Amino acid sequence: MPGLDEVSDIKSDGLRTAARHPVPKGEPILEMRALQKKYGAVEALKPASITFLSGEVHAIVGENGAGKSTLIKLLTGVIRRTSGEIYWCGKPVQLDNPQEAIARGINAVHQEVVLCPHLSVAANMFLGDEINSAGLMRKRAMTEAAQSVLDDLGFNLPAAATLGSLTIGQQQLVATARAAMRGTQFLIFDEPTAYLTRQESAQLFRLIRRLQGEGVTIVYISHRMEEVFELADRVSVLRDGTHVGTRKIGETNDAELITLMINRTIEQIYHKEHFQAGETILETRGLSGPGFEDVSLTVRAGEIVGLYGLIGAGRSEFALGLYGRHAATAGEVYWQGRKVNIANERKAMDLGIALAPESRRDQGLCLNLPIGLNINLPIFSRLTRGLTINRLKEIENADRQIRDLKIKTPSRRVLASAMSGGNQQKIVIGKWLSHGAKLFIFDEPTVGVDVGTKAEIYRLFARLLENGAGIILISSYLPEVYELSDRLHVFRRGRLVASHDYRAASHEEVLTQAIGV
Amino acid sequence: MSAETVESGTGPAPRKGVSILFGLTLLGLLLFLWLLLGLATNSFWTPNNISNLLRQGAMTAILAVGQTFVIITAGIDLSVGAVVGFTSVIVAWLLAAGVPLWIAIILTLAFGVLIGAFHAFGIVRMGLPPFIITLATLTSLRGIGLLITNGSTISITNEAFTNFSRADFLGVPSLFWMVIVVAIPAYVFLHLSRFGRYLFAVGSNSEAARLSGVNVHRTIYLAYILSSTCAAFVGLLLASRIGIGNATQAEGWELQAIASSVIGGTSLFGAVGSVHGPLLGAFILATINNGANLLNVNSFWQRIITGVLIIVIVYFDQLRRRGAR
Repeated sequence: MPGLDEVSDIKSDGLRTAARHPVPKGEPILEMRALQKKYGAVEALKPASITFLSGEVHAIVGENGAGKSTLIKLLTGVIRRTSGEIYWCGKPVQLDNPQEAIARGINAVHQEVVLCPHLSVAANMFLGDEINSAGLMRKRAMTEAAQSVLDDLGFNLPAAATLGSLTIGQQQLVATARAAMRGTQFLIFDEPTAYLTRQESAQLFRLIRRLQGEGVTIVYISHRMEEVFELADRVSVLRDGTHVGTRKIGETNDAELITLMINRTIEQIYHKEHFQAGETILETRGLSGPGFEDVSLTVRAGEIVGLYGLIGAGRSEFALGLYGRHAATAGEVYWQGRKVNIANERKAMDLGIALAPESRRDQGLCLNLPIGLNINLPIFSRLTRGLTINRLKEIENADRQIRDLKIKTPSRRVLASAMSGGNQQKIVIGKWLSHGAKLFIFDEPTVGVDVGTKAEIYRLFARLLENGAGIILISSYLPEVYELSDRLHVFRRGRLVASHDYRAASHEEVLTQAIGV
Repeated sequence: MSAETVESGTGPAPRKGVSILFGLTLLGLLLFLWLLLGLATNSFWTPNNISNLLRQGAMTAILAVGQTFVIITAGIDLSVGAVVGFTSVIVAWLLAAGVPLWIAIILTLAFGVLIGAFHAFGIVRMGLPPFIITLATLTSLRGIGLLITNGSTISITNEAFTNFSRADFLGVPSLFWMVIVVAIPAYVFLHLSRFGRYLFAVGSNSEAARLSGVNVHRTIYLAYILSSTCAAFVGLLLASRIGIGNATQAEGWELQAIASSVIGGTSLFGAVGSVHGPLLGAFILATINNGANLLNVNSFWQRIITGVLIIVIVYFDQLRRRGAR
């Protein structure tokens, strides 16, 4: 078994000094040779050969389900390959368990932070590698060491704070700092900016460049083209489990990458159709609640009302308040001209409001239940005849949504957790298409969703508008709300601070209003 | 839960197929045990012993079904054993006070409903963890029962009531018929009605269920009321069987019920479970006890065997789930 003896050497050295295998910059540090992964008959990754060069930032792009997560799991030892070989520093290695990957200096920062929210930042950074003396943890020493690492990286974060009290973006930075201080040679980022604000993204990018400067090889997985072009030296494209090409960043462009990824051109993504705005569906007057204050806006049939702002600006709270999740503290809501009191979620649904919430994982889906049950969840009372559910109708509706929305699954019985981000979003949408609504609130509908699915979702918006519905679109991704909204409202610190008609203001203007400088 | 959601790999397991398959392997295990005991002893396959076995398993089975509803919502009901003891006192006390039998039965079941509603109230309104609120009733219900009886037992003189548990119908003990009486509506409720779906949804992600218009509070009330009512029903059966009301009866039955449920494939993390699973689990446990008695195995060993069995079955269940992923 090649490579195994080497592992034991590494382990005996301890973690932090581990894996300092000097590979000159620009030489291959990790090579995949015809690496393949099958789950039963399904080929999640077709034999792929990609070479990662020491000290480069290597971006990997591809739609959801293209095989990116499979690739990460293979390289971090989370799953075992079906065939093919991995060469690390020129020698074939097993990489069939996470400990081996970590011992060699291969680490990953995941999109969803996998740390302990109840422990302090410092405790998380030292988790599994605590500073001990005489068998007792030296808490203060760890806090001080963690603080100096954080300060050194330029993060303005307190090491003594509880991790859970930080924003998701800040937690992501902690996860990165944790990986950075463990002698990492090869660091994989899986969509790190999905939940980050611009400032946080900028901090992260500085950190990535700095790590690169220290000779660390970075694999950067993202849906955001502008990030790929800002950071990467080379980019590899995956499509349907196939490695379709690797380019030097200087020798390619958006258009080529997107064509490689989805076989579709960029113009086809932002799909905006203008409809004659109809009657007013919803009007709020000075609505206030937990996290938002004095919001007045209207939504008419056939129009998209965009809400832009930084994370925490109160847009999602406004949506939840409107939906009856939290009681409003002041202000009025008018539904089709009639004053209403939306006391709970059921009331909102009965009026005709649908909410695709911000977090699919925490609010949108029952992940360990089948797709079909998720899709039918809002309409079981409608599917019930007498005491029992009409099974035929239940199956028919689930299958129809899966077919219409092109959810990539062999069956409605597959668990929602097994789906990629884009497909999960489609399940959430399918739920509300089943139920039907007059006003659809989409909160961050395309976070963690690939370009192809994004385009499908935007086209679906047009279909809803055409049928006389109105849409509230909440997004932290400016191009999205900017290109799609008939009217764009900017939120800052819980208040609506500015409103613009379609493309009436520039990107810079909107951004300035959102940040408030 | 977190382990479930972190692994979002491909190659998922169609849930329904797995549930049926698991039911079949459990049934296979039960039949295998019966076959084995039939070969090892002369007395196992006697009508007397089979009736005895069915009676022994019946009460745990009913408790386990109620318990399963609660566990599916990612909760736990530790009080069911105490509820059994308490309600046996209630029915004995009512009968001793000259209350007509059918009214005594209805009132006793109503106590079950009340206890379940109290649990749900504690969870939903007071924000107490299910473990805590049901632990509190576990001890206090026994206390109240002992206060009522002043520490002694109340004997039941109503013969119609006490004869019921000894009676047979179509050659099958009436206690076992009670399992069927509970299991069929339970199956319809959990697997065929929307309320069953809501139990799973609340257990999987209560926030997502709420935002999809599911009345989460009502669902939790439903689960705990059903569990306590099943327990009160078992209290009636037990009182009928032993002919007394005694608050210290059914000690540890809550653990038997939880064990049966878990052996039957229910996940303590919620959102996974069935009605047939806990039934099979209860009768597997009953068979082991029965078999151990027939084989003259020390009763201390029975406890150990039961513990080992729980580990083995649940371990294999998890292996299989992981393999299917």
